[in-house]
Amino acid sequence: MLLADRSFDAIVIGGGHNGLVAAAYFAKAGRRVILLEAAETLGGAIATGEISPDYRISTAAHLVEAVPRRIEKDLKLARNGLRFAARRLPTIALARDKRHLTLSCRRQDLTALKQWNPREAAAYVAFSARMKSYASAIRPLLESAPPVPGDIMSDASSIFRKLAWTARRLGRPSFEALLRAIPESMGDLVDETFEMPVLKAALAFEAIRGTSEGPFSPGTSFNFIYRRAMRHETMGVSLPEGGLGGLIDALTRAAASLGVVIRTDTPVKKIIVENGVATGIETDAGEILLAPVILSSADPQATMLGLVGPAHLDARLASRLAHMGRGGATAKLNLALDGLPSIPGLAPAEYGARLLVVPSLQELDQSFASFKRGEFPFEPPMEVLIPSVADRTLAPLGHHVMSILIQYVPFDVTGGWAGQRDRLLDRVIETLSIYAPDIRQRIIAGEMLLPSDIEAKFGLQGGDWHHGDLRADQLLMFRPAPSLARYRTPLAGLYLCGVGSHPGGGISGMPGRLAAELALTERRRA
Amino acid sequence: MSDEIDMPETEEFPAEVEIEAAPMMSSDEGADEIMAEEMPPADAPLTEDAPDMAAPDTETPNTEALDLDALEDAVQVDPSLFERKPEAPPFSRYVLTTPLHLSVAAESRTNLWTQWNGFTTPDILTSVDDEYRALRHAAALSDISPVVKYRISGRDAAVYLDRLVADNVLALSIDEAMPVVFCEDQGYVVGDGHLFRLGESEYRLVTEETHLAWLLDSALGFQVRVEDVSATLAAMSLQGPLSASVLAAAGFREIETLRPFAARWFDVGGMPAYASRTGDTGGLGYELWIDPEDAPMFWVRLLDRGAPFGLAATGFKLRELARVEAGIPRAGRDYLGAFAAVDPADASTPFELGLAALVDLDAAHFTGRDALRRAKGRPPRHLVVSLALGFPEAIEFGAVHCNGRIAGIATSTAFSRSLGINLAVARLEPVSVAAGAVLNVEAELRDGFSIRRVSVPARVLTEPALVLASRHAVPAPLISNY
Repeated sequence: MLLADRSFDAIVIGGGHNGLVAAAYFAKAGRRVILLEAAETLGGAIATGEISPDYRISTAAHLVEAVPRRIEKDLKLARNGLRFAARRLPTIALARDKRHLTLSCRRQDLTALKQWNPREAAAYVAFSARMKSYASAIRPLLESAPPVPGDIMSDASSIFRKLAWTARRLGRPSFEALLRAIPESMGDLVDETFEMPVLKAALAFEAIRGTSEGPFSPGTSFNFIYRRAMRHETMGVSLPEGGLGGLIDALTRAAASLGVVIRTDTPVKKIIVENGVATGIETDAGEILLAPVILSSADPQATMLGLVGPAHLDARLASRLAHMGRGGATAKLNLALDGLPSIPGLAPAEYGARLLVVPSLQELDQSFASFKRGEFPFEPPMEVLIPSVADRTLAPLGHHVMSILIQYVPFDVTGGWAGQRDRLLDRVIETLSIYAPDIRQRIIAGEMLLPSDIEAKFGLQGGDWHHGDLRADQLLMFRPAPSLARYRTPLAGLYLCGVGSHPGGGISGMPGRLAAELALTERRRA
Repeated sequence: MSDEIDMPETEEFPAEVEIEAAPMMSSDEGADEIMAEEMPPADAPLTEDAPDMAAPDTETPNTEALDLDALEDAVQVDPSLFERKPEAPPFSRYVLTTPLHLSVAAESRTNLWTQWNGFTTPDILTSVDDEYRALRHAAALSDISPVVKYRISGRDAAVYLDRLVADNVLALSIDEAMPVVFCEDQGYVVGDGHLFRLGESEYRLVTEETHLAWLLDSALGFQVRVEDVSATLAAMSLQGPLSASVLAAAGFREIETLRPFAARWFDVGGMPAYASRTGDTGGLGYELWIDPEDAPMFWVRLLDRGAPFGLAATGFKLRELARVEAGIPRAGRDYLGAFAAVDPADASTPFELGLAALVDLDAAHFTGRDALRRAKGRPPRHLVVSLALGFPEAIEFGAVHCNGRIAGIATSTAFSRSLGINLAVARLEPVSVAAGAVLNVEAELRDGFSIRRVSVPARVLTEPALVLASRHAVPAPLISNY
């Protein structure tokens, strides 16, 4: 099919989850949409791959955290084949002394904690309630386009004033605590609130997971609140059937059923700009496609500097985009196991949980210190998942797959990765062995993706999963740059709909939805 | 004038002496010393007339033979030539002097100095009245080396500059100059200056203030090289009705054919010089861009050849006066660059500076274009205008009143001797510029120990106070035999 034969109302660049969501919403409004993906498959870093035949696993991202119910319903994802193997996955912090700690506010978990350490249980309940109230205060900000100064519909100053009012209703001490919590580091916050090392470390890890910041970096407690707000409150973290590829399959079917034309293996070479208006795209193969709306879910930097080119941008914007803070600090290890590893201290029902390997705040900070020096940590902080416990389709009967996110792995290691790849692998397995002594014997096959592999494989620049680090100075009206904050670009007709835009990271689909809705209203007005 | 070709070799001697005496900023002082040893006539006095006629036929071949011999005996190379000298740490010097400093200092009768971009610059060399008379009736020579000069080269130089400045740069042809203004993303002026196209993909941007960081920031994504050549390029300004005649007498062949804003390379006694018909004085004038090593020789040569025409060396005060007469605002004084303005209200768009002619909103994308398109429809927040005050002697004033209320400030003031009025570049509220507004300034007049306060009516000028026909005349008026 020659693309030029058909005319489209919108071109979506990039077939990740946000691109699919944006395309589907646009098509849902009765518009003709084409989606172009550079790779052979859709989904980008959200994919299910095979470690070895019959052992399937989510290649990179491994949990769905923040897809709101609204998108699920609007796009009829359940009808398009999205099944969840598990929802509301509990989080368990593994401890060296085999007294593992379940982080949850469920009654039985709290009772267990109360028996163990009553003071800590009370502190945890209070802390959770406090964080939840903060999160619900900022949640409205994440459900709409970010407020920007001077905008008629959502002027930043009036919205923040309203926010201050809401927060003040929390009561004076709590309002002060909120004001303090925004610039505070998560490390300091948990250090003064709790006394159990595992609990402190686990909460701090939640704040820094996937970023390149340390537990004591300022502003990390706001990260925690922000993520809490992002995470879909009613459903928690969940695990789609068939790995995360299941989510992409459902989104693809939803988009296709709405009439989106999907073309894989079609890299876009450039966005055609005429007198300040983005009029179309040119593919690598030289095909030219014109459309009044172009939605790019690619990295903001790649879109604006690579596809559009600095010549069409103001210099300050271009230099701001070139200096975006990158948070590529996460490696991924996927293992195929010939049986369930035994983790002493863990109840059989708890093997399907999200397991955190972060023994203490000090060790977490030391790991960060080695990351800053350009080395990987001796005992890396990790998030471990055995998805095959809940989802039997992933591995042969009795066998399992294990998915490990390794935090604080530098993009460029001192001395080069060539000789140290195996050393990192060895350190990860060795660290796991502390908690699961038989892990080494159980491994059949495995694959490790360093930040550089993630960049090469999924086009995530700097190995950053979020198209720009999720931190206070790169959120809300600063994401990805002040003048790009509301999905619009200086070029009429070009919109950003990727994870680099508000509200950003985690798998949410929100940037895609909000950008598509904005583009639609602007089209109607035009 | 025809015997000019033989002169350069002989002429260099007295000039060379000058250079040795100067503790130059350049690093090859060692080389100068060596040359001094090789040339015994270094003790020759500074008699400018003598070497001209003395014995060119005997001197020149002799030195050539000596040079050849020296080349044969290449073994005698002084090893100290190749020793690495410890480099001075950056910013170790705060008092900077131009390559012409000693030459200029020799002309000073007042010892009045000021600083310009950190460089020691003469404020007044003889007296403002004399210098002004030279500027408007003969020719005025000044050292403008402190202006900031950037060399911009590389494959994308043209498109890079087209994105940088608010006008269409691609139309600029080689050996031409244009006034330019460049803005940041919000449309506020970062700076202004002149852009010279030196070659196919080589440009020179001359500005009042330093902008290297902004130029480098803007270079992202372009194959372009931006260098600050301020220290390695000397500049002189020769302005006045007889400036073409002086240059012609000094050996700039067919200088009169140079059109306004055009430039050309000249060979003046073996020394290359790039001369452009530019300068912010409102009349005929040229700017010379030369190698700092040659600059003192040029200075001497121009003073020497220009003397019969009434040429005078002039200082910074005259430059400011001429600029105010021509109604040209200066960056850093009459307006603040976008990055210098702490309060965005202090920054200005080109429209507010009266530089709308330098903005082409239909041109290809440049930084700030979208913001300027929006700003075009909005009323200006302030206006930078020229004021004329009918008072027959120089007065000092700051506040500009409109209907009894302060409506702005005079940022540069000057007394125009040829018009007999006070002039100012002022930054005013837009209302006070509208027709019908009555403007006046309060001035204090001193007379010995008595003081008198006067209220002087002011008038907004719609065009520069002084526009001289000679500015646009082609060929430039030339008096060959004075």
